Amino acid sequence: MRVTVRLFGPQARLAGRRQLVVELVGDAPTAGDVRAELGRVEPRLTPSLAHSRLAINYSFASDAQRILAEDELALIGMLGGG
Amino acid sequence: MAPDALVSVAIVDGPLPEPDAWRPVDAGAIVVFEGVVRPREAGRRLAALWYEDYEPMTRQELEKLAEEVFDARVLLGLRLEHSRGRVPVGGCSFRLRIASEHRQAALLATAELIDRMKQHVPLWKRPEWLDADPADEVESDPCRTR
Repeated sequence: MRVTVRLFGPQARLAGRRQLVVELVGDAPTAGDVRAELGRVEPRLTPSLAHSRLAINYSFASDAQRILAEDELALIGMLGGG
Repeated sequence: MAPDALVSVAIVDGPLPEPDAWRPVDAGAIVVFEGVVRPREAGRRLAALWYEDYEPMTRQELEKLAEEVFDARVLLGLRLEHSRGRVPVGGCSFRLRIASEHRQAALLATAELIDRMKQHVPLWKRPEWLDADPADEVESDPCRTR
């Protein structure tokens, strides 16, 4: 399954783009699989991934949560509001 | 922002306007916190900060956090406003107003909400420097450079 993950803030600047496409293998990919694959596709994100969470359809997801092809995915990390 | 809501959240383009009058019935304490864009960051002069959100998640997370703090601290009212986009130096980018019967609840709620917001709510800021540095180009918005 191929999914697109939106990036924001410092992570978008680190990656030099606003979204990344990752290829997931297996029948039941999870949010954890996406995070791991992001580090492989864009190694500059790796140090920040431990402090980031994946959002699925605008809600924070656990690493065990399943991914569907039509889901909206976003990497939420390195926050700085206020 | 609904004028009579006990809890309200607003995301505003640019600097926040001056606040409206607000004094909930039975309040004995109203704490107002304003975040203002300071003129210097790490020794460099700032022109502005750019705030980026992720809608509708940013608003949802702010509303959820505001409701949780409101319920946990037994407050009388809570109003939260945050900017998105460009806020020049001196501009207000964040305002939190919390009303309670006694001061301690409002003071504790203010600190708790801000701490949790910085850890969990999808909001990012980026500096716009007054004195340009060639290295800034690397750090600029990827949408502008690609």
